[in-house]
Parts: sequence; structure tokens; C-alpha cells
Amino acid sequence: MIEILFQMLVFPGLAAAFAIGFLYQGIERKVSAHAHHRIGPPVWQPFMDWVKLMSKENIKPKHGIGFLMTLCPIISFASLLTVILFIPIGNFVLFSFTGSLFVVIYFLVMYSVFYAFAGFASGNPFGYVGGIREIMQIVSYEFPFIVSLLTIGFLTNFRVVPFLSLEFPFALFAFLAGVLGKLCLPPFHIPEAEQEIVAGHLTEYSGPRLAMFGLSKAIGFWVLVSLGAVYFLGANGLISFFACSLVILAVLIIIRTLFARLRISQAFRLYWFVIGPLAVIDLVRVIVGFY
Amino acid sequence: MHEYVLPFGPQHPALLEPLHIKLKVEGETIVGSDISLGYNHKGIEKSFENRWWAKGMYLSERVCGICGHFHTSTFAQGIENMLGLEVPERANYIRVLIGELERIHSHMLALGVVAYEMGLDTLFHYIFRDRELVMDLQELLTGNRVHFCMNVIGGVRKDINMENTRRVEENLEKIEERCHHYIKLFKNDATVKRRTQHVGFLSKQKAKELTPVGPNIRASGMDYDVRETGYFAYKYMNFKPITGEGGDVLERCVVRFKECIDSVRMVRKCLLEMPKGKVKVNVPPVVKIKEGLETVSRTEAPRGELIYYLKSAGDKPYRVKIRTPTYQTFHILGHILNGYEIPDVPVIIASIDPCISCADRMTVVDAGTNKERMVTMKEVRERRK
Repeated sequence: MIEILFQMLVFPGLAAAFAIGFLYQGIERKVSAHAHHRIGPPVWQPFMDWVKLMSKENIKPKHGIGFLMTLCPIISFASLLTVILFIPIGNFVLFSFTGSLFVVIYFLVMYSVFYAFAGFASGNPFGYVGGIREIMQIVSYEFPFIVSLLTIGFLTNFRVVPFLSLEFPFALFAFLAGVLGKLCLPPFHIPEAEQEIVAGHLTEYSGPRLAMFGLSKAIGFWVLVSLGAVYFLGANGLISFFACSLVILAVLIIIRTLFARLRISQAFRLYWFVIGPLAVIDLVRVIVGFY
Repeated sequence: MHEYVLPFGPQHPALLEPLHIKLKVEGETIVGSDISLGYNHKGIEKSFENRWWAKGMYLSERVCGICGHFHTSTFAQGIENMLGLEVPERANYIRVLIGELERIHSHMLALGVVAYEMGLDTLFHYIFRDRELVMDLQELLTGNRVHFCMNVIGGVRKDINMENTRRVEENLEKIEERCHHYIKLFKNDATVKRRTQHVGFLSKQKAKELTPVGPNIRASGMDYDVRETGYFAYKYMNFKPITGEGGDVLERCVVRFKECIDSVRMVRKCLLEMPKGKVKVNVPPVVKIKEGLETVSRTEAPRGELIYYLKSAGDKPYRVKIRTPTYQTFHILGHILNGYEIPDVPVIIASIDPCISCADRMTVVDAGTNKERMVTMKEVRERRK
């Protein structure tokens, strides 16, 4: 019982996700700042932002739906926290059963969908456009993302267990592209493009509500990077896990500093006509046993 | 899909200046736009009228923070024309030199902003890092990074600092190399090309009708450049306008980079061929010009043709009318925005390099009836009473 509580609340659950998520986000900001020839904020800056936002007033805009605006960040935060319990980090895993991969996929989609709903709930034209774009982006990246997970799923009985899958490079590629889309990192930071639609779906959010979205995004970093480390790089044991997750993080940072933001139509075409077919190649290889 | 109105500005992260555009949007496609100005009225033209000519020079530098040297040059040129002053050759060369340096830094600023609007922060920071090379040169040669206050009536205030010519040459070489690199990057990089090619297209025919100025019209294939007329020392520079054929955002960016390279050439030529001698003609502190005399003075600022209309009232101007290049350019937005998507809006706006605070005039919004209207000078006088 105590072990379960420890896993849920301390490692790899709430506390670790909180700390390492913010740390990864901080590293991401710091390293990409150096790539820009800037100094960048200290690595604990995302955490400091969170603390400051939590202490602020909760403002509901006139046309916003307050209930939904509170619900969206909480659900997206909770669904990500649930995903952690399904991923074997080190040797800690709470739920591991045949088909647990589908639960992971389900909760990861929940997170994105409520991100989009947040925009609609705020009653702001920028939030509205941001919501539409987020939905469009979900429709685009979920196909290659899910196909890449299913590729490995066929080999692991749809259980999330450490698995080294370097013979499926297209699946790994599609997974990374999906992570970029899910975390709204360049070149897919389309839903929160500040130059076009201010902050997109988060335009009207402030105070604790925004802080919860910041937290869920930080945990998103932790969850998706660990999923990649475990499921594609086969991280087994704590040290190899952190090494693998930092490798994935490094790849994400390199990609994010290299590309300009795409238009939503271009992103849609890229995901469905380039990355999607590549991911399907690996899936077909697994199904017909050619690997 | 139903049509809705998306406000763009006056406070918007993409637009650092107060321009308000109401975009009529269907889904993500723009079907119409309505541009309104009037958020930033400095009353600068009126302020000229109660200053002596010499003091107006400092005021005209403050019209714009980026191309201040061109404003003073144009103002000074107008006054000198009215006085019939012959400016020393060295002063003419210095005016060209500082102006071309300022053109490089203005173009680099505009291009960095285009990169930022595309969401490519890396390129933005790189271009701004390289812009520092020009800023350093300006500081080295004149003592200031911006607002050099070099122009006075009848020449320039002081000679440029020629002590460290090796560093000047080093920096110019670096700028030239980086500009070549960026042209290659804009033309070849996958995402940059996707965001800029065939976006914000202005055909040569339409450019003739709408007559924007500066790099915007040159990128559409028209070779209109005031520097061709050979004012100041441009007559010795073998100057040829740089034009492009594309008419899209990419072409405007490439034309700006090519102009930067050409400016580097002209700066080198100035430093090499500058004659020795006096840098200004002495004029009395309070210049008197015959009352009622009027003139039009024009130069090519980084954003295009800059026009000053001056009419004298003795020791002060009777009227100063400034037509900034942006004023002549920003109405093309209504044409080049249509049919593109929301993500293209900031890129297109940045690509015409607007300087709103230079161009803005006054509007009054009646809060009761929600109507906007322009206020004439006569009404302002009546309101003041």
C-alpha cells in the first residue's frame, strides 16, 4: 500500500513529474536560448513562473464559461498524471497489463482535446482560432503518432514495457514529430503562435488556471520524453532511463531551433502525406513480419 | 463556415506599433481587411512651426528612431535649397556614408522582424546579432548608436572619426558575408521558403497602380529609387536601383539584403574617395529665409521616398509637411492581405517594413456613438479655445 502511494505521489508520480517536468522545460528553454546566442533564463524559471501565477488572482472574462475554464486545465493535468502510472520509469510501474498502451493513447488525446476546449471556453476570438487550430493539429498529428506507438505495440502485446526499436527508424521519427505537435513546439507551435493570435487558446487565461496549464505542459514534457525513452530507446533502469530521456530532449531542442512555424495547412499536409505514410511503412513491416 | 472579425492590433505581440487592422476571416482565410490609424499622434509637424530652422533639425531627427538621419538630411537639403547654400563635398560624402550605414541597420531590423513573425526565433536572433556590427560602426564613426545628430544647416556637425579604419573594414566584410549567407538561407531553407514564397504577392501592374515606395515597389520589378537623381554624393556612386521580379515576401527580403550589400559597397567607396576639407559652411544660429519661399525636398530613406514640403515664415517654418515612406506604402496591405491565411498576416505586414509612428495622423473616436472621424486643423484650433 505504501509502495503504491509512494509511486503515485512521489516517484514517478506527482512530485517527480512536477520537479523533473519543470526541469526539462527549463533545460529546453536554456539550451535553445544558447542556440539563439542568448543567455536565457535560469533552468528553474518555469517553476518560478508557476509559483508566481499560482499566487495571482483568478479572472473570468465576461464572455467566458468559468466552470469550463477551471475544468479544462484540471482534466488535462490529471490525464497526464495518469499516464505516468503506466510508463515503467526505472523499475517503477503501477499498472502494466495487456492493452495498457491504449489507455496511454486515450489519456494523451484527452490532454490535447481539453487544451483545445480551453480556447472555446474563454469566449475570445483569439482563443476560438487557437481552439480550431489545436483541433486541426490533433487531427493531423494523432495518425502518425498512434501508428508509431502501435508499431511497437504489436511487438510488446500492447503493453508499455522497455523496448529497443532502432530497427524501426520511421516509427521513431513519426513519434518525435507527434511529440512536437503535442507539446506545441516549433515548427508546430501553430495553436499558440504569439505573432498571429496572441496566445491562442490561452489568451484569456491568467492566474492559477494558466499555472495549471503551465504545469500540465511541463508534465507533458516529462511524460512524452519518458515514453520515447522507454518505448523506443528501451531504457531499462534509472540511469539508462535518464540518459535516454535526455537524448530525446536534445533531439527535440535541435528540431525546435531549426525550423520556422508552418501554416496549419502545411502542417496537415506534412503529417498526413509525409510522416503518416512513413509511419505506416514500419507498421506494415511489423504486421507482415518483415524486420 | 461563418465569417468573423479578428482584431489585429493596436496592441498585439506581432505589431510593436499601434496599427489596427480588422480582418474579416473565414476559417483561416482572409476575405477582407480594414486598416485604421490614429493611435499615435505626436503633433510633430505643428511643433516645427514654433521653432527656429536650426532647432527644427533636432526635432526632425525624432520623427523616427530608425531612420532619423534621413529626416534631418531631407530637412537640411530643403533649407539649403531655399538659402542657395553650397554644401562642401566632404559633408555630402559623410551624409551618404552615415545614411548607408543607417540603411543597413534599418533593413536588418526589418528582416529580423520578418524572421520573428515566421516563428523562427533563431534567425531573428542571428540577424539582430549581425546588426550589432553596423551599430558598432555607427558608434565608432559618429559617437552614437542611434540619433547621430550629424546634420546641421550647411553641412555636418563634425568630421567622422577616421582613427580605426581597420575595424571598419573588418565589420563591413563580416556584414557583406552574412548578407550573402542570409540570401542563400532565405532562398533555400525549407520552412523559410514555404512561409515567404508566393505570399503577399504584388504584381508589377498592381504596383504601378498603388505606387508603394522603396524596396516594396522595387521587389515588384519597378526601378524607382530617388538615389538615382544623384543628390548629395550619390552622383559619384555609380548607383543602380536593385530590383527583383517575384513581388512576394521572399523577394522583398532578398531585395533588402541585396541593398545592404550595395550599401556596404557605397560605404567603402565613400571612405576611399572622400575629399579632404571643410565639413560645413558657417551660417548664423538664427537662419532667416525669405517669407513665403517654399520647397520640396526628397531623399531615399530605407523604407522608400521621403518627402519634406517646407514653407518659410522668416526665421521659422510656416508649414512643414512630412510624407513618410510608410504613409505611401501601407494602403497596399488592403490588397496583398486578401486571400492569404491568418499565419501570413504578420509576415506580410512585417515584409512591407511599416513604421507606423512616423506615418500616423490624428483620429478622434466618439465614445458615445462609436464613430471615428478625422479632425482638421481648424477644428483642433476651435477645440483649443
